Amino acid sequence: MDLNIRIAGEAGQGIKTTGHLLVDAFASMGLWVFSTQSYMSRIRGGLNWQDVRIADYPITSSREDADLLVALTAEALATLAEEVTEGGLILYDGNEAEGAVAIPFTDTAKQRGKAIMANSVAGGAVFTVLGYPLDPLTGYLDEVFQAKGEEVVQTNRDLVHRGAELASEHAGALQAPEPAGAPRTVYDGMEATALSAAVSGVKFVCAYPMTPSTGVFTWLAQHDEQYGIVVEQAEDEIAAVNMACGATYAGVPTLVTTSGGGLALMSEGISLAGMHELPVVIYLAQRPGPATGLPTRTGQGDLLFALRTGHGEFPRAIFAPGSPRQCHELMRRALETAHRWQTPVIFMTDQYLADLSLNMEPLDGSVRPIDRCIATDAGEGYRRYEITESGVSPRAIPGGDAFVVLDSDEHDETGHITENLEIAQAMMDKRLRKIDGMIAEALPPELYRDDDGAETLLICWGSTYLPCREAVDILRMRGISAAMLHFAQVWPLDRDAVRERIGSRGRVVCVEGNAWGQLAMILREQQLLGDAELLTRYDGLPLTAAEIADRVEG
Amino acid sequence: MRRLHSESPTWCPGCGNFSILRTLDSALDEAGIDRHRLVLVSGIGQAAKLPHYTRANVFNGLHGRALPAATAIKLANHGLEVLITSGDGDMYGEGGNHFIHAIRRNIGVKCFVHNNQVYGLTKGQASPTSDCGMQTPIQTHGVMLRPFNPLAIAIVEGTPFVARSLAVDRAHLQEMMVAALKHDGGFTLLDILQPCPSFNKRNTAKWYRERVRPIGDDHDPTDMHAALDLAMTWGDEIPIGIIYRKKGRPKLEDLNPVLANVPLVEQYAG
Ligand SMILES: Cc1ncc(C[n+]2csc(CCOP(=O)(O)OP(=O)(O)O)c2C)c(N)n1
Ligand SMILES: [Mg+2]
Repeated sequence: MDLNIRIAGEAGQGIKTTGHLLVDAFASMGLWVFSTQSYMSRIRGGLNWQDVRIADYPITSSREDADLLVALTAEALATLAEEVTEGGLILYDGNEAEGAVAIPFTDTAKQRGKAIMANSVAGGAVFTVLGYPLDPLTGYLDEVFQAKGEEVVQTNRDLVHRGAELASEHAGALQAPEPAGAPRTVYDGMEATALSAAVSGVKFVCAYPMTPSTGVFTWLAQHDEQYGIVVEQAEDEIAAVNMACGATYAGVPTLVTTSGGGLALMSEGISLAGMHELPVVIYLAQRPGPATGLPTRTGQGDLLFALRTGHGEFPRAIFAPGSPRQCHELMRRALETAHRWQTPVIFMTDQYLADLSLNMEPLDGSVRPIDRCIATDAGEGYRRYEITESGVSPRAIPGGDAFVVLDSDEHDETGHITENLEIAQAMMDKRLRKIDGMIAEALPPELYRDDDGAETLLICWGSTYLPCREAVDILRMRGISAAMLHFAQVWPLDRDAVRERIGSRGRVVCVEGNAWGQLAMILREQQLLGDAELLTRYDGLPLTAAEIADRVEG
Repeated sequence: MRRLHSESPTWCPGCGNFSILRTLDSALDEAGIDRHRLVLVSGIGQAAKLPHYTRANVFNGLHGRALPAATAIKLANHGLEVLITSGDGDMYGEGGNHFIHAIRRNIGVKCFVHNNQVYGLTKGQASPTSDCGMQTPIQTHGVMLRPFNPLAIAIVEGTPFVARSLAVDRAHLQEMMVAALKHDGGFTLLDILQPCPSFNKRNTAKWYRERVRPIGDDHDPTDMHAALDLAMTWGDEIPIGIIYRKKGRPKLEDLNPVLANVPLVEQYAG
């Protein structure tokens, strides 16, 4: 069984703190946890919430309704009460409220300590209505506040118990899942990505802040000394991408973080990385556009842009992980691909995936720097753009015996400017040839539950992975023969591998977080997709498993 | 200077870039710069082609974007000497925002701007430093915008070394280049007035020669107000020399604890 808890209120009320508290405490009990955030773009006020879904089986997507609403404001109560399931419960931060159990979290916290400790009161109340013992909660708080001293620890403990007391009339009112031995370690997509970048050897990070990409930038800034990373906040995204070109030229693996608007400003610089043949990796966290769009919401509307951005023709790779674990694996692969093929790579995620957290087995946090594929034996007579069969030329870095010459103009093998058109053609061919090698090692899309050659195939990419997978499970439970095909690498495509996996189906449904079905467009262009339906959502919220399953069933 | 490739400079006869190129070669030798540890960074323009005619590492990037690339090269390997040679359009126009922020960072790169007060490569449009009234194929009624003053901006924003020279006065130029190359206080700006015989018929070599005045010994380059006076002097008289030089501002690469020991690139264990 599963249960969805929604903590809602205004920005600045500590929703995230309460959310984190619950997520970590539930995980420490061995419950499966899956948590997502829904935020408005403002620092104070508005209506925000965090969902914490728990279950006695692994869960991979959010739900639209909630079994327990923790409303911190009257607006949250008024707006979200109708999404509470029958038999559900509402806790309200106040002295009285119709249809809700009123518990003054904030006032209670103020009496004993500070208003910001209201989350401890709320935590005590939530655990009580779910019929859980308080130990995991107080244990977690002890750990978190240890550094702040015994008094803070004790106050928080007291407040948890006070919250429990205030909710005691409704103790065990909701049936809650039993602990199921789930892993205790919790990750969100952002942290899984940033950790991977750090342990894979990223040494330079440059960016201009833009939601929802800022989390990775911030994480790396906060771990700079631990991993030896120079973090530079650029004056704009144009500077950021050109810095990345400079830093990679000098030999350090580099990450640029941005969202769609920033990527637009980076367009020329991405083309430069293609021309200079530099391993520039861009972390692109999408939000809905056009223009400034919905800054704190999610979407998958930038796939075609990521594929096309940058003038001229040059090879690139695009990765689109579907889960925090894939974020971790693919950030490393993105860096390796960029270095092996000396060309820009875009790593695409979105607000939903960056912010979602779940528990899983610990990720590998050991430092294992990638091979930069640097030629150490280059000397006199070195040619940076030597024509080779694979298209990859030995890459030396400045400071050694060889002069390393790069030009954004077309250049000869030595890197110097040329207008000799024969050389120009040879250089174009050399660069473009790299795509063949990149295709040969491209990740094939992942098939899920297709052992019996499913009748209906759901095709998706990036963050739609987890909801789509769960939708397949739901459809199968309803007796519908469905499978999923997920693209974690969207470009380049191994066409044979894709064709074979799509196979011939009764029905193909492309599930995407954009209006036009952008992966479907790419697959059609590559002559890999015949008749297919689109199942899209582009209102700023993620697709959920239930929604996909219902819409597929029709 | 030995050229590494067959194509010769694509500059017009009488272009100030020839003189800048030759002088740079001798200045690098005089300053004792190891060419293998030198990176020349440029954007796009006639001036920005200069690195191609030298023996050094070269990062010839995008129009206007030399500074961010140079900044990152220095942060990635602060053991390298990073020298930017680019045009006025590149540095003060397309790259204007980066110019301001490179000064704020006080990154230890040298920035030589070939200031011909015009866009040469694109055939003679106004640049940010074009004089008011200059007619061009685009500015058909004459330039109406007030010229940008790179030196005054640089001084106000705290650039630790601000100098001006004249491309065709090779002795003065070499002296300024050497002083700039030897300066170790962070961002270093040398603005080089450069005749463009093809597209700037107003600020010709003769015009500059009649006006430039070497700054006298009585000038105190640590005095910001005196320096600003010189930076704002333009017209009948144009001061050349070291206008502003001030010690004490830490360089960005010295402030970051990650760079405290060895250059970043040498910290890579993979
Ligand atoms: C993004 C971009 N915009 C415009 C151009 C065209 N362009 C190349 S150089 C240049 C101006 C060059 O002026 P300056 O930097 O003063 O160099 P000069 O040729 O005078 O030495 C322009 C407009 C370009 N290459 N890239
Ligand atoms: Mg110019």
